Order: sequence, then structure tokens, then C-alpha cells
Amino acid sequence: MDPEGLEFQRERHVLFLEMMMERLPSDYETQEINHLTLAYFAISGLDILGALDRVDKDQIASWVLSFQAHPRTKSDLDNGQFYGFHGSRSSQFTIIDSEVSTHNCSHLASTYCALAILNMIGYNLSNLNSEAILISMQKLQQPDGSFMPIHFGAETDLRFVYCAAAICFMLNNWTGMDKEKAKEYIVRCQSYDGGFGLAPGLESHGGATYCAVAALQLMGFINADVSSKPAKSMVIDVPLLVEWSLQRQAVNGGFQGRANKPSDTCYAFWVGGVLKILGFYHFLNKGALHRFLLSCQSKNMLPDLYHCYYSFAALSLLEEEGLKPLCVELGITAINGHVWTTDVVIGPIRSSEAVHEKS
Amino acid sequence: MSSSSDDDDRIPFSRRPEWSDVRPVPQDDGPHPVVPIAYRDDFRETMDYFRAVYLADERSSRALYLTTEAIEMNPGNYTVWHFRRLVLEALNVDLHEERDFIDQIAMRNPKNYQIWHHRRWIAEKLGPEAADKELEFTKRVLAYDAKNYHAWSHRQWVLQSLGGWEKELDYCQKLLEDDIFNNSAWNQTFDFGLSYNQEYSKVRYFVITRSPLLGGLQAMRDSELSYTIEAILANPQNESPWRYLQGLYKGDTDVLVSENQVSEVCLKVLKIDHSCIFALSLLLDLLCYGFQPSDELKGVIEALRKSEPASSDDKLASTICSILEIVDPMRSNYWAWRRSNLPSKAC
Repeated sequence: MDPEGLEFQRERHVLFLEMMMERLPSDYETQEINHLTLAYFAISGLDILGALDRVDKDQIASWVLSFQAHPRTKSDLDNGQFYGFHGSRSSQFTIIDSEVSTHNCSHLASTYCALAILNMIGYNLSNLNSEAILISMQKLQQPDGSFMPIHFGAETDLRFVYCAAAICFMLNNWTGMDKEKAKEYIVRCQSYDGGFGLAPGLESHGGATYCAVAALQLMGFINADVSSKPAKSMVIDVPLLVEWSLQRQAVNGGFQGRANKPSDTCYAFWVGGVLKILGFYHFLNKGALHRFLLSCQSKNMLPDLYHCYYSFAALSLLEEEGLKPLCVELGITAINGHVWTTDVVIGPIRSSEAVHEKS
Repeated sequence: MSSSSDDDDRIPFSRRPEWSDVRPVPQDDGPHPVVPIAYRDDFRETMDYFRAVYLADERSSRALYLTTEAIEMNPGNYTVWHFRRLVLEALNVDLHEERDFIDQIAMRNPKNYQIWHHRRWIAEKLGPEAADKELEFTKRVLAYDAKNYHAWSHRQWVLQSLGGWEKELDYCQKLLEDDIFNNSAWNQTFDFGLSYNQEYSKVRYFVITRSPLLGGLQAMRDSELSYTIEAILANPQNESPWRYLQGLYKGDTDVLVSENQVSEVCLKVLKIDHSCIFALSLLLDLLCYGFQPSDELKGVIEALRKSEPASSDDKLASTICSILEIVDPMRSNYWAWRRSNLPSKAC
């Protein structure tokens, strides 16, 4: 327990997420298009809380798989459409043929959420037609290296570079993207103060900075850099980034997403995650952050799923008792998946931390 | 479930004569949906009719009207927005009218990605003539929330794609005068600076062949430096101008080190505010880059060290780290690490 008497109320949080699994309040209808993302928050939240035994995994698997867009033939993969996962039923119309999407609105963020959920419930991703996802995904990458999330166009920024990298990583196949171009785009998003903006020239932002650093980590550009190379040969300016990130811890112990903005629970994960990936997490004031997060625990109001989820994730980074450890760059727990528990990813993070602690 | 009180006089689509020929397509969430949403009746009905016209690919004025209702309930639904654009194109609607619609809905949902994307789509179609209106609109949004990320993003896109740079620095200056803590405006100023430099240096490149880039940058730096120093002195606790100051010299630390005004502003601030972490950390960086401190500066720093007396072999940089460990408790581990990792050239 915290000296101020605050305690992480795990059981209440499990109960809350179980309620959300049962039925989301009407206010969530405006987010209907991101139904898979809402499911991701609830299911992954239960996973972090170590309560995934409360859900019906088969039901979840078939529900998630029902959102996948399937090409009719292999030649469809050249038609410019993206064959990933739809965000919700209102973007999916499978009336004509049960297997074929007549109006394909599949989306990179929903595809990331779908694969993440499938993994955490232990579904074997090699059962998926990953070729369709990866080949059609290539068309979403722009000449500048960024990604648009959906084939008929939308904003292009770091969020979708991250989603693309996480998708390739989870499918263990990088044919879906040009890594070098994506890296160049990410590098261009680093601002003069060390943080990353969502697009080149934009103000540094905690969420964007996570997308940038986690994507670089998934693509393998940080492992090699931080652990073994001198600062000057790194693809990004790490010392400036570390200082910007640490500076985001405000006087109340919480993290802000941008300079001169109030603290918010979610940035304890976004910015904390950046520091964790880079091996500088032990430099933040953990006690102060812990107190801040616990002070945000809802007492009698229903919290929102998004902030709830990232608070659990942030507390997991702080090694709160009873919470499962995370694979930070994937944004989900580390022990369920079969791909990313190998030394390929986890090993170098540890060794980079060791280097900093030694020096 | 009843509809919300705002919409009490709303007539359901099923009772509107103009829709009598349409059979709604109900949402099929399957037998065992995960995280099912408790849809309100009017939401569900509107989406059922939307599905019907979308599946029929009906690009009509009533379909356009339907998308308006669906968007008002559900502004994040990119499928509805996408269909709306198809309808707008098919009907050849005057996009100035569409922009008026977006004016209203964006003011009510200023942080919705899809609305801003739609706005960009309109502006792109209208071309350079739209620049003034777009800049005016983002100005209105920023008057409510001067840090709205979407508005700044849109504004940068307008400047880069449609033009209107002329008054941008004045505008940022104005926002900064209103709220010196507005980091977004600092960032925009920086972006302006870069674009200005690029244009400036491009012209000079063809006119003067010797060191055009350096000349352009330095010319910009001098004026920016004095403005930034002024902002720092007005409010030394504001992180934004400190970061901006270092940003002006990014990748050019030798120039940063040799610019006397930089260490002078740190000194000035520390004389008034002994524990200003931004001044201390900038001095630390300067020393790590090889800056040679004056005796006056050494004296001021030594005076700040309150506890144990200095051992003779202590570097000034090390002393600064020790002070930072105390005055910046959130990051004391970091400053301790910096102290044990000082480069050999640091004084």
C-alpha cells in the first residue's frame, strides 16, 4: 500500500471490465466504428490484470475473425484495397457472399487490434491468410514512408506507421512495408526538442513519440543502436529524446503529453513506455508516478475504457503487484504471444538497460 | 431505450414519407457479440437506413441528408464520411456550402480526426483560393483552445499546400503574447522559421554562391535569439522558449557554445531564480559541448551549492548536476547519472 493509503483495487477493475464486456453504455455508440479497439481495451485490460480466464476465448476468436476482409481471388490483391480487419459492423457489409466483403473499409488500427486480441487469447496467427493482409498493406504506404489507414484515404501519420510495424511484427513477416522508408519518415517527425510530432513539423506529443519509438524498436532499428553504438550513429537523437521524455513528468508526479499541458494517466504509458524501450525508465520518479496514478483511480464514477487501459499498462510498467509484465512496444502483455517472447526482442532491451546502469 | 432529450422532436426515418421506399438494413452483430454497445434507438435506426443507401450505392440528395444525420450522431465513422464524399462528387455539390457545414460541426467536435480530414479534402479541391478561409477557421478554433493539435496540423498543411505564410509569424507572435506558455505556437514559429529559411536560402543560392545556407540561418537566428531571450526573461519557468532556444542550434553545437548571449541569459536567470532547472540544464549541456565558463559564472554556480564545500577536482558541470539532483526531485536519478557520465571535455 502507498504511504497515503492509496491502494490499487484490482478486483474492482476486473469487475468493471467484466461489466464492459457484458455491455458498453450508450455513450460508446459514437465509437462504434472502432468496436475492435474497444474490445482490445477490455480484453487486453483483463489480460494485464491476470483475469483472462473470465472470458470465452472461442467466442472472442470467432467474433474477431468475422471482421476480416477476404479477397475473392489472389488477383484482388492488386486492386489497391486493403484486406485487413474492419473496425465494426457498420463498416462491413458481407451480404452478398459470406466470405467476400463487398464494401471493403478495413483499417490498419482495427487490424492491429484484431491481431493483438487473437494473440492474447492464444489463437495461432499462422492460421490466418497473412499474405492477403501483408501484400495489400503495401499499397497503403505513401511515397514519404508514412501510412494511410484505409485504402480510400484518410490522414497519414505516425499512428499508422506504428500499426503497420506492429502488424508485420506479429505476423513475423515484413513484406507488408518498406522499413527503410518508414524509418526515414519517423526520423523526420523528431522535433527540435527531441520528442516526435504526429507528422513532420508538428509539435512533440507523447502518443506520437510512443508510436515513433515503438515502431523503430519493432523494426529493429533501436536494438542495435542503443545497446552497441555511440550516440552520434543512432538514427534518432536519443539523448535529446530522453531528456524531453523525462521532462514530461510534472510536479504532481504524472506525465503530460506536451510541454505546459496538464498530466493525464495515458501518458504514463505513452511516455513511460518510450523510456522503458530506450532503457531509461529507472530515471523517472516511480514513487511520485505511482501516487499520481492511484490518485486517479475512480471511486464512484464509471471511468472510460481508454484511460483505464493505459493506467493498467502504466502500472504494469511500474511492476504493480498482480499485474502482468508488458511487451511495451506491442502494447500488450509479454507472456502470451509466441513470437515476441524470444530473445530477438526482449534480450536487447535488457542488455541496453544493463549498459546504462553500468556506465 | 428512449432517445436523448435533445432529439425529442426528431421524427424516425420509418415515419418519414420520403424514406418509405427504403428497407432498412439492420446491424448484424452476430449471435455472441463481444463488448456489445447499448445503442440508442435513433442511433440504431439511422445506421440501419445508412446501411441501406450505402449498399444500394444511392448517391442522391436524400442520401447526403442522411449522412448529415449519421455524422452528427457519429462523427468518427469514416465509412459514412467516405460515402458522403462520393455523394458530394456525384451531385456536384458546391463545396463552399459543404465547408459551411464543416464549420459548424467542427466547432462542436474540434478534436475529431475525420472532420479535419474532410475539411482538408474540401480545401484541397477548392485550391489556393481556400487558404485565407482555412487560416481564418483554424484561428477561430485556436481562439477557443490555442493548443488544439488538429488545428495546428491543419494550419501547417494549409501553409505548405495552399500558401499564406506572409502573416504567419505575426500570428504566432500574437498567440505567444497572449499565452507565453503555449508550446504549440512556439513549435509553429519554429516551423515557420525553417520554411522561411528554406525559401530564403533557395533564393540566395542562385544569387550568391558563397555560403548561402549559413548566411540565411544566421540571419534568422539572430532575430529569433533576441525574441526568445526576451520570452525567457519574461518567464524563466516556461520550458517552451528554453527548448526553442536549443532548437535554433540543433546540429550546430559549436555555434551554440560560442554564442555569448546563451550563457548570459542562463546567468541572468540564475541570479534571480536560483533553482531554475532549465537554466541549469542548458548550462550543463553547454559545458558538455566544451563551453569555457567565465569566473563570474563559476562564482554564481558555486554560491548555489549550499551543502558540502567543493572539492578542488570537482568540475563545474558536476556541481551543476549535484544542484539539479536537489532542485529537480522528479529527475534526480537522471541528473546523478549525468554527473557520473560527463564527457572528458566538460569543464
